[in-house]
Formats: sequence, C-alpha cells, structure tokens
Amino acid sequence: MNEQEIKTSIKNFILNEYLPGEDPAALTDTTALMTTGILDSIAVLKVVTFLENEFGITIEPHEAVVDNLNTISDIARLVITKKTA
Amino acid sequence: MAGEPKKVITDGQDVRRHPVMEYVRGVGPFLAVVVQFALIVLVVDYWQLESLSLARLMNLAFAGFIIHHLLPLRFRLPFFGLLSILAVVTGVGHLGPNVFAGWLSGRVTTSSTVYHLLPGLTLVAIGLVLIGICHLPIRFWMRIVLVGLVGAILTMLRAQSRLFPDIAEMWVILGSMFMFRLIVYLYDLKHRTAPFSLSRAIAYFFLLPNVCFPLFPVVDYKTFCSTYYNEDWPRIYQSGLRWMVRGVFQLLLYRIVYQFAPLDVYKLSSALDVAGCILGMYLLYLRVSGTFHLIVGLLHMFGFNLPETHHLYLLASSFTDFWRRINIYWKDFVMKLFFYPTHFALRRIGPIRAMSVATIITFLATWVLHSWQWFWIRGRPLLSWKDFAFWMILAGLVLVNAIRETTGVRKRTLSPARITLRRRVIFGLKAGAVFCAMCILWAFWSCQSWAEFQTLLDAASSPTLRDIAIVASVIVVVCICGMLWGQSSRETSEGRGTQASREPFHFWRSASVVTLGALCLLAVPSVATRMDPNIQKSIARLHGDVLNARDLATQRRGYYEELDVARMENWQWHMAEDPEGWRKGDKVFFRDRPDFLLREIVPSVSTVLGNAAITSNHLGMRDREYEQTKQPGTYRIVLLGASNDMGFGVKDDQTYENLTEDRLDQQPPGAGYSRYEILNFSVAGYSILQRVLRLEDAGFQFQPDAAILSVSAVDDQFLASHLRKALIAGVNPPAEYREIVERVVHEAGVNGKMPAVMIERRLQPYATELWQWSFRRFAQQCRQHGVRPLVLYRPAPVDFAGLEPAIRSKTLELARAEGIEIIDLSPAFDSVTDRNTLILGKWDDHTTPLGHRLLADQLYKDLARVLESRPPTASSSSK
Repeated sequence: MNEQEIKTSIKNFILNEYLPGEDPAALTDTTALMTTGILDSIAVLKVVTFLENEFGITIEPHEAVVDNLNTISDIARLVITKKTA
Repeated sequence: MAGEPKKVITDGQDVRRHPVMEYVRGVGPFLAVVVQFALIVLVVDYWQLESLSLARLMNLAFAGFIIHHLLPLRFRLPFFGLLSILAVVTGVGHLGPNVFAGWLSGRVTTSSTVYHLLPGLTLVAIGLVLIGICHLPIRFWMRIVLVGLVGAILTMLRAQSRLFPDIAEMWVILGSMFMFRLIVYLYDLKHRTAPFSLSRAIAYFFLLPNVCFPLFPVVDYKTFCSTYYNEDWPRIYQSGLRWMVRGVFQLLLYRIVYQFAPLDVYKLSSALDVAGCILGMYLLYLRVSGTFHLIVGLLHMFGFNLPETHHLYLLASSFTDFWRRINIYWKDFVMKLFFYPTHFALRRIGPIRAMSVATIITFLATWVLHSWQWFWIRGRPLLSWKDFAFWMILAGLVLVNAIRETTGVRKRTLSPARITLRRRVIFGLKAGAVFCAMCILWAFWSCQSWAEFQTLLDAASSPTLRDIAIVASVIVVVCICGMLWGQSSRETSEGRGTQASREPFHFWRSASVVTLGALCLLAVPSVATRMDPNIQKSIARLHGDVLNARDLATQRRGYYEELDVARMENWQWHMAEDPEGWRKGDKVFFRDRPDFLLREIVPSVSTVLGNAAITSNHLGMRDREYEQTKQPGTYRIVLLGASNDMGFGVKDDQTYENLTEDRLDQQPPGAGYSRYEILNFSVAGYSILQRVLRLEDAGFQFQPDAAILSVSAVDDQFLASHLRKALIAGVNPPAEYREIVERVVHEAGVNGKMPAVMIERRLQPYATELWQWSFRRFAQQCRQHGVRPLVLYRPAPVDFAGLEPAIRSKTLELARAEGIEIIDLSPAFDSVTDRNTLILGKWDDHTTPLGHRLLADQLYKDLARVLESRPPTASSSSK
C-alpha cells in the first residue's frame, strides 16, 4: 500500500463514519480533524481501532495525539512510520 | 523544532525582514501591548484581586515582560526561568518592597531579610533536586522509584509541616508546582514527545504566576514547549491580554455572586431563594475559570501560546461536552495518563467495555487526585463520600453520553455554515437541560453535608407561580445562549493551531476592546458612585477578598459548635483559615450544662482564645473577681451578651465592659454612687433566650441595679442554633419558657431527629416572635426585681451583608415596644474608615481591642447620660 492508498482508505473511513453526506472534495489531506471537533476523544479511539485493523499496526496511547491524528496526512504519516518501523 | 520561536508571519506569508526593521515595525503594537498590560496591572491592584501577592507579581511580570520582549529570542526562555525563580524566592516568603526597602535603609537586619528568603530558596532547591532526579543517567524505572521515594518523604514532611514553621509557606506552592506537572513531565520524558533542557524544565515547573495560585491549571509539558512563540508575538500577547481581562471579569463576577447570591442555606425562605442558591453555588466556579484565564493570559505575555483552559462550559450541550469544556487541561491530563492507557490496554474486551472501564478509572483517578491536591494545599487529604459520589455520578453521566456517541451517529460537519435553525434549537434545549442538571449536581457537591442538601430541597418544596416563572425565564436565557454560542469545536488543549488561530486576527480591534474593558473596570465604580451614592456600599463589598455573610456566619457557628472540618472548607479555599490553635481554648473555657442554658464558662480558668489570654473569675464570668454581696454605695450592672461582649480575642483588660467600668470609677456620673461595677454574664454563642435566662438563673442573685441586654445584628443565628441544639439534646425549656418554645417548635414542624440545618432554616421565620417574647420577659423580670432594664445595641465591626440598618431598627423597635430604654452604640465605629481594622482577622470577625475601646468610649458616654436620668416608668415608656 502506498501513501496515496493509505490516505484514500483513511479518508473513506472518516467520510463514512463521521461525515456522511459531506462533499468528499471538502475533506482534504490537510483538513484539521481534531482541533475542529470532527474527531473527538471518543472518535479517536475508533480511528485507532480502524488503523490497527486495516493496516496491521499497533498504536500506543501516547501516539493517539493531535500531532499524529489531526489531518489525513498526519494519520498517513503515522501509519507509514509504524509500518516501516 | 518544537519549543523554538517561530519567525514573524504576517498575512499568512512567511516574510524574512531585517531585524532592525522588524523592531521598528513592531514598536506600535508593542507600545499598545505595554499600555494594555499596565492597565490590567492597575485593575488587579485596584480591585485587590486574590491577594497582595498577586498585585506584586503583576508588577514584577509587567517589568519582566518588557525586558523579556526586548531580549534576543535565545535569551528569553532562560530569562523567564530566572524571573520565575525570583518570583518564587521573594513571593513565597512574602519579601515585599517594604522589607527590601527596610533592609536597604538598615531598619531590617540582613538575617531577617534572609529569613524571608528561606521558604522560597528551600522550594527552589527541592524543585531542582526533583528535576535532577528525572534526568539521572540511570534506567527510567529507577528514576521513577527515586522520584517516588523523594515524593513520599516530601508528603510525610508536608503532613508534619508544623514541625518546620520557618518554611511553612512553601509547601502549598511546592505541591502546586510539582504534584501533577512532575507526572506529566515524566510521561513526556519517557516517550520523548518534546525537547528537554534545564531552562525549559525550570520555566515549566516554576511557572511565574504559580507563586500566587495554589490552584493552578495542569499545563501539559509537550504543549508548553510546542506553543512557545509558535505564532506572531502581537497575536500571542494580544490573546494573553484578552484572556487576562476575561479572567478579571470572571473574578469580579465571582465576587458579585459570592457577596450577593443567597448562599446561606440556613436563611433560604422561598423556592426562588433556593434556585438562587443553587445557581450561585455553580457560579462560584467562576473563581477557578477566572484565575485560570488570568494565569494562562499572563503566560502568553512570555510567549507561551497556550490554549484555552475553559470554553463556555455553562453552555455545554451534553455531559461529555461539559467534561470537555470545563477545565480542559485537567481533562487532557487524565485522558493522557489514565483514559488512553486503560482503554488501549483493554481493547481486546471490546470498545464499549474498554471505554466504560477506562471512564470509571479516569474519574476515580480524578477523585483521588483532587484529594491529593487538597492534601498539598491543606495539609490533609479530602476523602469524603460526597466527593466520591459527585465524581461517580458525573462519571456515569459522561459514560452514558459517551456510549450514545459511540453507538449512535453524532452529526459532524466540515463547515459551520451548515448548522440549521433546528439544530440550533436542539443545541439550546440541550444546553438548558445540562445547565440545570449540573446546577443541581454542583449544589449537591457544594453543600456542606447531605443534611444541608436535604434542607435545600425542603426549602424549595412549595414554589409559587412567580418563583417558577423567574426560574423558567433564566433557563430560557441559557437555552438562547446555548443556541447562539453553545456549539464548540474545542476538544483538546494540545498545542496545535486551533480553528480560532487560523481565523483572521485584528490586532487593533482586539487592543481597543481590551483597553476599553480595562478602563471600564477602573472607571465604573467612581462613575456609578457619583450617579447613585447608595451603590458605594455594594462596590465596597466587591473590593478586596473578604468573606461573605454566610462564611462569617458559618465561622461563628464553627466557634461555638466545634464544626467538623468539612463544614469549614468553603471559606478555607479563600485562604481565610483561622490559624492553628485559634479556638483551642474553647474546650478549657466552656463546659456543657444539662439545662436550657446548655453551656457556661468554667470558673477560675485561664487559657488562650483567639490568640488572647482569657481568664474567668470564681463565679464563672469572663471578668474580674467580685463578691456576690454588693457593697454599700455601689451601683451594680449586669451585662448579658455573647462572644463580643465576653471579649473573644482580646485580653482581660481590653474588653469594652472592663474599660467602661474603669472609666465609670474614674469619672463617675453624677448619680450619687462612689463605685460602679459591671458584672459580665456574657457567654459566647448565647441566644437572646439564654441571655434572659442567665439573668434569671444567676444575675438577679447579685442584686444588680441595672441589667444590660446586649444585642447585635447577627444574633438571629444564635437563636435558631440554640433551639436546635436543645431539641437534638432533648433538653426541655424551663416552665416559663415552655409555652413559647413548644408553640414555635410545633408551628415550625421541627423535631430533634431532623437534620440540624433543616431545623435552623425552619425556625428562622419565628425569630421576631422569639425576640419579642424575650424582650417582654426581660422587662417584666427586671421590673419585678427592681432592676432597671436596658437594651444595648452593639454594632457589628463589619457589615458585609449590608443588613445591619434594617435589623437594628427592627430589633430596637421591638425593645422600645416593651418599654425598655435603649443604649445604641451604633455611632461607635463611625470614625473608622477601614473597618477591617476592627476585626481580628479575615477568618474571624470578632471585635479587635481598638473596637472594644471605641465601644467603651461610646458606652461610657451613653451610660453616664442614662444613669444621670431617672428610669422611665413602665407605662410612660410603653407610650
């Protein structure tokens, strides 16, 4: 899976799960998710579960933070780092 | 890199400018910032917010800010660290400008000056040791163990802090600086989520404003580093100024609520009062949010672009939303340390179960850590079922909401413009519902006991239509506010750019608002006073950190009933705790009686009460020795009163009674007597019924010529508490008192098995009737015994509630109606401009020696006039 595929997968999940009916084009790789309230602390848990199941990685509690999960790009970077580690 | 200052960014463009040009262009905004900051310093000083230390700190921060800003970026963080240490070293030991000036002029010795530095230096040394341990070149778990060991030793020392009186002041601030931040620091150190250096660590732990605020937001280390100059300085400084003004407004609003809301459960008389009380209790939290805004705003002035600590929590639309908005830093702290680790560890049991367990553990941790915080601030842990119940109820509410959010679909949008009117209405209704629920839950938490909460509900049992209409309109206002401003995107305090920070920033507009706000806070009192002179008293009540009527009343109750600590805590948060041993002599000086008098003074004892030596004579009076038989040529007066008449907190020869007696002997009025004696039968906490009974029980045996019944504006509470104690103890009143007491008890519907606070609240409406009866009895008994009855009105040294004039005129009217002569000492304190000089301390409103002297001067004058005149006949005075 390359970076673009990872981003697409994450984007689809977020659109389906949290933004049903929203214009997919409005959700860009740099749209802030946590600092705008789209992903709250409970939603973050679901995202983490999704990432672990989808990409076969393990995310530590201290990694479930705004630095790693605020945008689709941030999340993809986290996934890639984890997969290559 | 996180923690490094960012380049100046303008209009979204990253522009490199010549450093000199940058400074020149920045002069205007910088001067504007300086002016606003100076105004805020003046406002804090003018309103005497929090404490004198805060005013001093603000001056230090203001000067430090200017130097800090003018320094090259690389020197700023170390400078902030040093400034913080300076604030700690001077602030903890209360080394103010007076001591320093005294040392410079030679009035204060060097050793005394150094002594003032001792607590602060000790704190800094302990802090540096703790930071050092975190960075020891040993395994991480060994560092944790070492920190734990040192922490355990410090905890034991804190518990025994009275053994180290020289450094007693530092424990609270040490705890406040390290009790939570050390945990966060170690967590981030373990995961290496932020850069570490000595100057960062010093700046983080010794945060400048912390020295004035034991209750301090749990600043996240990673956020602290990552937000340091992460935006343009004008924007950061301006945000800080805006927040400080917001904090000041909230603190003043808090004072209004604290001073004027009907917070005394004992005195609630209607369902509307109850609603006001419940709302007031909730709004008292404004003090916390106000101080947190002030603190974080102040940190902005040194480049720390920290996020909001509270976000419109009164308008939360669900319990999870409430939890996310109120004390955001705390929420992030427990989420980081407890919720996420627990949830991640339990993922295999399923998301809902994991979330449930994690939520319960998070709230349990919150409860325990609040107790931990209490321990460091107060010196002992707070482990009460009420706190536990509060946190667990909140946990349950948050959990139910969270499960609903997980299983249902919470509507989220990418654009706020798509929020429809229908959604706004729903938001508003939810905000109203959560507001009501939180008010009630908060009242439950704030009440001193379960009985007090029951009394609150009891008082609200029969609301009128007007009460319901007023309460409903307040809820409607909350709903409308919820519709307009209730939606929030604030979820975390973590330091990435928030939505707000990406919005256009208008420096000058913001500067104008802050300047205007600060000027209003400075000018409004004098303008309002000129427009309406009556408002002066109300504004005076908002100046300074003084106890409100309820807390002073609670304290009075505390002195006489040995209240448990839990009931005292409401004012102890205001740092108005009485010093150690203030009431210790109580147990030596007083003893219980099995009859309706309930207690009396132990004969021939000496002890200390309220920091003053107190002695009783062989007849059980706080007075000089007297023979029971009156000597010829002596005019004998008996004084019947309570603690102020007894002379609580002043020495034996400083009571107004003894001073007056001396004066009468030195300058006898022309009444044909060679000697005057005033026998003090006053006992602390005596109600009017007890005072009259004391006269009948003992006073008449001393052949008095006159009896003075001393009354004051705060005596109602003694009446209710006296009857309540008698009911609970099952003590019957004497035969002559039985009819009135039994009737009142019957009509009030009280009995000895009810909660104390409920009994007292229900008895309040009968106070006037009991006063009337007592005056009648007093007059009748005096006349039967050929004694001249006099009622003395003793003014309260301070009248925080502003109720004295009304109570005084009502009381004296009742006395006059029974034909009793009045000695009104009300003018005694007129010459005193600062009434605080008349009370023993912030924690105790008993009269000082100065107050007793003034009372004695007035009493001598009035008494001489009365004694020189003939007593009126019963019939003539009744007319």
